Amino acid sequence: MDSLQSLADGFAIALTWQNLGLALIGCFLGTIIGALPGLGPSNGVAILIPLAFSLGLPATPALILLTSVYYGAMYGGRISSILLNIPGDEPALMTTLDGYPMARKGQAGEALAISGIASFVGAFFATWGLVFLAPQLVKVALLFGPAEYFALFTLAFATLGGIASRNQAKAAFAAALGLAIAMIGVDGQTGVPRFTFGEVHFYDGIDFLVAIVGLFALSEVFIFLEHGGKGDAKGETKVKLGRITPPASMLRETSGSMARGTLLGFIAGVLPGAGASLGSFIAYSFEKRLKDRNGTFGKGDPRGVAAPEAGNNAAAGGALVPMLALGVPGSGTTAVLLAMLLALNITPGPLLFQNNPDVVWGLIAALFIGNFMLLAMNIPMVGLFVRLLLIPPRYLMPAVAMISFVGIYGISGSTFDLMVMIAFGVGGWVLRKLDVPLVPVIMGVLLGDQMEKNLRRALTISDGDISTLFASPLSIGLWTLAIVGFILPLIVGRYFRPKLADTAKNEPNIGD
Amino acid sequence: MNFLAITRRAIVIGAFLAVAPLSTANAFEPGNTECIAPANAGGGWDFTCRQVAKTLQDLKLVPGTMQVTNLAGGGGGVAYAEVINKRNDDNNLIVAASSATSTRLAQGAYPGNDMTQVRWLASVGADYGVIAVAKDSDINTLPELLAKIKADPTSISVAGGSAVGGWDHLKVLLAAKKGGIDDVRTIKYVAFDGGGEAVTQLLAGSVQAFTGDASEAKGFVDSGDIKVIAVLAPERLSGDFASFPTAKEQGIDVIGANWRGFYVPGGMSDDAYNYWVDAVGKVYDSQEWKDVMASNGLAPLNLRGNDFQAFVKESVDSIQALSKEIGLIK
Amino acid sequence: MKQISDRFFGIVGLAVSALMVWRASLIQESFIQDPLGPKAFPVVIAAIMALASIAIILRPDEEPDWPVPGKLVEIGASMIVLIAYAQFLPEAGFVISTALAGAYLAWRLGSRPLEACVAGVVISIGIYLVFKKTLGLSLAGGPLDFVIDYPVDLMVSGIAAAYHSLTGSGGQ
Repeated sequence: MDSLQSLADGFAIALTWQNLGLALIGCFLGTIIGALPGLGPSNGVAILIPLAFSLGLPATPALILLTSVYYGAMYGGRISSILLNIPGDEPALMTTLDGYPMARKGQAGEALAISGIASFVGAFFATWGLVFLAPQLVKVALLFGPAEYFALFTLAFATLGGIASRNQAKAAFAAALGLAIAMIGVDGQTGVPRFTFGEVHFYDGIDFLVAIVGLFALSEVFIFLEHGGKGDAKGETKVKLGRITPPASMLRETSGSMARGTLLGFIAGVLPGAGASLGSFIAYSFEKRLKDRNGTFGKGDPRGVAAPEAGNNAAAGGALVPMLALGVPGSGTTAVLLAMLLALNITPGPLLFQNNPDVVWGLIAALFIGNFMLLAMNIPMVGLFVRLLLIPPRYLMPAVAMISFVGIYGISGSTFDLMVMIAFGVGGWVLRKLDVPLVPVIMGVLLGDQMEKNLRRALTISDGDISTLFASPLSIGLWTLAIVGFILPLIVGRYFRPKLADTAKNEPNIGD
Repeated sequence: MNFLAITRRAIVIGAFLAVAPLSTANAFEPGNTECIAPANAGGGWDFTCRQVAKTLQDLKLVPGTMQVTNLAGGGGGVAYAEVINKRNDDNNLIVAASSATSTRLAQGAYPGNDMTQVRWLASVGADYGVIAVAKDSDINTLPELLAKIKADPTSISVAGGSAVGGWDHLKVLLAAKKGGIDDVRTIKYVAFDGGGEAVTQLLAGSVQAFTGDASEAKGFVDSGDIKVIAVLAPERLSGDFASFPTAKEQGIDVIGANWRGFYVPGGMSDDAYNYWVDAVGKVYDSQEWKDVMASNGLAPLNLRGNDFQAFVKESVDSIQALSKEIGLIK
Repeated sequence: MKQISDRFFGIVGLAVSALMVWRASLIQESFIQDPLGPKAFPVVIAAIMALASIAIILRPDEEPDWPVPGKLVEIGASMIVLIAYAQFLPEAGFVISTALAGAYLAWRLGSRPLEACVAGVVISIGIYLVFKKTLGLSLAGGPLDFVIDYPVDLMVSGIAAAYHSLTGSGGQ
């Protein structure tokens, strides 16, 4: 087969000591960057570009280094999600929902191991998808016009109802709050500033990293301060690390979740304008909808860790499809990689596979290598990671707080961003006290802007004709899925919800 | 690196060092130099800063390394205000800028600031605008496109990578005005996040035309997926774009250059200003920079010192006039 | 009255949505206008927020356990320290301000004063090494940087020299 032959050539290019060394460095740095709050894959790749330049690397090795960082960061984000309840980067957001409860139940080791394996599965199959399906997948990306994107984002928000909170009104409030925050800044469709209060710092809008780090990391610090350095657990006496290898039954149980997460994440990744966050989000909410029979999701269900981690890593691989095949970045990180490609005198686009096969196949081979390295690096290191929990909070939390500040300041150099982050920290603390879920807030910030933009683009193109939103079979399908799959059950579910809520109240509160 | 290359490099550097004291016989000595990129790491300004900083280092035009600082916010407005308010007499500072900077200055998007408060240093290249349609479109020339728009403005949606009122939008409006469309506000412009997304929507058939920079369209031009109907440059571009006519050839005299360059603090001494004009000029003339330009799809735009100052002034004035006319600003 | 927090929260939510509608109405429309305009979406969001707020007022949850006033002061004080940190960072430089702020937090989280100081310094230097020296991010410069920079640079150039002498490449 053609692709396999090319792939073999790719391995011949990638398997040099220098490239393997670069992949190792990239995976290691990437994992750290992913785990540090405030630094995500896109900043990670951006700040390592000068390193690639100063090493004077040619195109293929430079790309190998940077994509290893990219994959590494996707792995790394889960570590702080699970151990500290702080997403290391935005795609790891959903992993906090079940990962942290697992850690609290004494299963930190299992959670890290399962999520590591799920990350591997997601990235591995996504890379195969890249090998065989890239040209066909590009056609899928071209099916999505503004109207279809709007339907997709509506679907994402429709699934919110099933997530995280016992109180739907509070989840809705949180989502609306996030959407409102996303409205801040200059409106791209008309060029007028909105909700900026005349403050020039707000013109670009609020960076979602500032929101995530403030809401999750700083509010956590405030919670520890409130309890005199003890955290909010009642009667939490001793940290249990759990096993470092997951039991076989857990692997069996989660294998389906990984498969579904991989598929959904990969598709989300392929669509430019959707991306890894949407991938992990949809992977989690579909998994919960399908499999949450006993209400264990949100309370430390391994499937709730496996699905989003497979999803976001698969999305990372999927996002390379439009980048390589169309020259269109599907995410912040691929935008940076694209700039790097251009700087190396390589023009991504429909002809890349023909003009620079060595680069493409070397890169794909490097992705396989990096992925195996990450698995080999991450599973044994689970034991090391969980030891983070043995550091007393009186040292750990100040470090988390200061890293958060530096992560934001180092990227933007903006004191104003730091002030906004503190405001988010205090706000996040109050919302947590009131049992308002934070995940929908971030989803609103991440997706709200895109949702509005695509709606308005669609209506501009159709001269204001609303029917354009339901004009294609694809958008009708997405709308149907949103309504039948998620909104109807919410309304119908009303009738037996009070009973469920009662039993939930009587249970000892292990969840959040 | 082989021995020959090292030797060659050593000779070049040696020759340069021997000449340097003569040519830069002014009082300014660069110290801890810094380039501010007024956006997050990874963006266009960031890239300009890092590339020029690297070339300045390689050519030994600055001592040691040049620090690149990101100062994001307000579409560059935060950095602009910071330079004016806090760094006004810093002789070691250069700041990355582009047509986005002059567009925002012209439209008053940096509240309280205008272009006279800093000194404009030099350009390091330009990315000329293109207008394109899908390969199977029945439109073949710019006048045809404009005629269609004139006949029925709702029939053509134009996609671009900048916000409404941004550079990609203004290019179309400039062309339309020259092409005899009086009320350019009727033109349907759809803003996407970057040129890549806009081209994708052209391929997907959601929109009928694309406005962007040559570098954004390059990959699709090579593959034949899109048809460039006009290049907004004074003359035909070299390389892959040589076969595409300029707008001027088609009787629509409009030039749309997305330039990249630098400004420096308004209070910088003349000695320092001359030093930097000279240094960035040397970067521009170097082979390294020619390679960077080639790989980034940048066309030549070589304006330094007062020439550049005048160029920025002119483009700010014309953007201001157009923006007023279409009602973007009052 | 029980459940006062949620009811109050709902009222605040209503106020925020009202504020949003008001601010949205102030958005100046430019002459170039898309069919939907810049106001519609914010108003829809405000409506959702208002509905959610009403639902929260009507069906409030159990009262959360608010901290005693002393703890609120604690959180307020830390907030002020962090704000001061953000403000002084560009002037005082990264190393000093981070050490001070880190030490304060460590102290308030239950470390003994001496431990807290050590923790602050270790955190500050550790972050400096990772972010500035390894990742090359520009952190705010300050007077004490050379204390760390000098030995690290010495070490790095030593390693580089050793590497080059081993591989026999000419550097550059």
